[in-house]
Amino acid sequence: MDGVRKLAATAGLVLAMVWAAAPTSAQPKKLIFWTHWEQNPEFNKYYETRGRDFAQKSGYEVQVVTIPYQGYEAKYLAALIGKSGAPDIFMGMTHHWCGQYDFCDRMPADLARTWDDHLPKYMVNVGKWKGVRYGTPIEHGNFQQMYLDVELFRKAGLDADKPPRTLDDWLAAMKKLTVLDAKGEPTQVGFALRHKGHPVGITDKFLPFAHAFGARMLSPTLETATGFANSPEMVAALGFYADLVHKHKVASLAFPTPEDAFGQKRAATIFRESWYFGWLKKNAPDVAFKVVALPCGKACPGAGALFPWTNMVYKSSANKAAAWDFIRFLSNPKDDLDQHQAQGILPVWTVNLDSPYVKARPDYASTQEMLRQPVPPEYYHPKSNELATAFGEAVVAALYGRGQPRPLLDEAAAKMDRILKD
Amino acid sequence: MRGVLRLFAPRSYMDRQRRAGLLFVLPALVYFGLVFLVPLVESVVGSFHRIVPGGESRFVGLRLYQRVFTDSTFWQAVANTVSLLLMSVPVTVTLALAVALGLHRLRSVMARSAWAAMYFLPFSVSLVAAALIWQWMYDPLYGFLNHLLGLAGLPPLPWLQSLELVRPSLAIVNVWVRLGFDTVIFLAALQAIPADYYEAASIDGASARQALLRVTLPLLNPQIVMVTILELIFNFKMFATVYATTQGGPAGASQTVIMLLYDTAFKFFRLGDASVMAVFVFASLLLVTLVQWRLFRREVEY
Repeated sequence: MDGVRKLAATAGLVLAMVWAAAPTSAQPKKLIFWTHWEQNPEFNKYYETRGRDFAQKSGYEVQVVTIPYQGYEAKYLAALIGKSGAPDIFMGMTHHWCGQYDFCDRMPADLARTWDDHLPKYMVNVGKWKGVRYGTPIEHGNFQQMYLDVELFRKAGLDADKPPRTLDDWLAAMKKLTVLDAKGEPTQVGFALRHKGHPVGITDKFLPFAHAFGARMLSPTLETATGFANSPEMVAALGFYADLVHKHKVASLAFPTPEDAFGQKRAATIFRESWYFGWLKKNAPDVAFKVVALPCGKACPGAGALFPWTNMVYKSSANKAAAWDFIRFLSNPKDDLDQHQAQGILPVWTVNLDSPYVKARPDYASTQEMLRQPVPPEYYHPKSNELATAFGEAVVAALYGRGQPRPLLDEAAAKMDRILKD
Repeated sequence: MRGVLRLFAPRSYMDRQRRAGLLFVLPALVYFGLVFLVPLVESVVGSFHRIVPGGESRFVGLRLYQRVFTDSTFWQAVANTVSLLLMSVPVTVTLALAVALGLHRLRSVMARSAWAAMYFLPFSVSLVAAALIWQWMYDPLYGFLNHLLGLAGLPPLPWLQSLELVRPSLAIVNVWVRLGFDTVIFLAALQAIPADYYEAASIDGASARQALLRVTLPLLNPQIVMVTILELIFNFKMFATVYATTQGGPAGASQTVIMLLYDTAFKFFRLGDASVMAVFVFASLLLVTLVQWRLFRREVEY
């Protein structure tokens, strides 16, 4: 009997403690924000920092959850389909999550107008699906520019202050910058190209060459690939690209990722986006480099984005209005500048593109130059991943000598058409 | 029906025993049902439907099967998977058997356990971690393996960058990861074989080789078949190693079926097509397992 009393007393004590520990007032409401920009922690932290200010007027705090980029699609999809555990705001590509799926809430008209009015022209379509704005663009400078190693240029008798401006001059420079061993294999390459990883990334890195040759991957309406992905211009571009490896040997498949090769001073040039110089300064501070505009061919590659990242509001969120209020709260030039500057990346608003912070960056001149060039083709299609994979498989097959550009691109175009028609 | 009712209202001792048995296995049954059977049924159903997540689902009959089975990328992935499997499974099983036989000969139980634990360690490492460790070892410039080749005066090899070497390189990772698990199974089986059999064989004049071929291997048959099936399943489902190292490259040379399935579902958002691939994997593994079980499994009694 004593045992029963003791048990009852203990249970009562535990219940009392649980009751005492329970919050006496309501928990602050939270907006859950998902991002996969794990490489930009300061940028992400800014949402929480400003979220505290936002909480004072709205009662909503902001909690940022960083989802690892590898496999983020699966996690997003599971949560957004399941609804439970889904975020209120999430970062991704509008044409996927709002185009292929119907997960996005339409942006309030006044806010959409604000963004339309303050973006560089090449970014106006970023965040839109079928002309309707769902997302706020978060990354400017997500187009490739040429990083060149000043020291390797000097050793090759080239002037880094006068970089090659045409593809012909560029190829001639690459030949001078390449160092071959006794067997004729490069120990230092003029250009490090992307040949590893997912075909989507390989397509992304090849497209500036395609655009410089006047080619485009899809028709302007994004409805067909045949005649575009396998156009004579595209065949010439891929031939030129593969020749860099096989004929001219100014690039090598034995080299690691372009970023590593450049950081190791084994590649004189690579094409990368604006964020790369931050990586370079952190990981290879001994590399003296310059950032310049990409060389032009028939056309100039221009400023475009294959990965147009945006922030969107989840359609089924119970806190949609608060989520839009938070986005509205951050939609001003100051927050745009502060947030991007905290991470060392380019701001998005036009008014900030000539701010002292941006002007002091090594990519200021090249970015401005590429912004002045015509906007390259955009491929904001819901099936862009699948299309870019089919195309990238042809590119990488040509690089590895698994076929000639023409038949490879014919096959890719046919496959892309099947994807588009499905 | 009456039997089922008696489970809920037992009348006899045997009824109670049956009910207890059912209650004991019920958690496992529920778990298996929810985690395996429901997704399996959903996959089969999904393979006949065009699914738009967040949107509608439409019955399309065998259209998705036709599309997947006429896609050269799919068959390339199947060929890569089979090739990886052929490189990994025989080597893993044979090596594990050899290691287990070696360990079994050790007299000191402590030494045997220590060695077995060392072999088992890689199995306890997460597959992604193992893949990343090997990626470093395979690094063309800083990798340990090329460093060793350099010391031997040999040229470096593009382990994960070459169309020819990428699959053997990944197979080595698989062998390294799985060796310990298989070894422990064989070792346990070897220890269960009564010593009398070897004494009898020895009295009959059997050599060590004859004892191995006529006594040990036949008695290990259930374990060899089981380990081979497990290895087959593991290798057929290979994903993490490829995903963490090559992402299917170079030029699709290491694209496995599961890797393609993942891309199809979560990069291309074609859940129906991915379901077709899942059904294909399930049916293939089931078929191969049944055939193997039927052809090679022998009843063994000690």
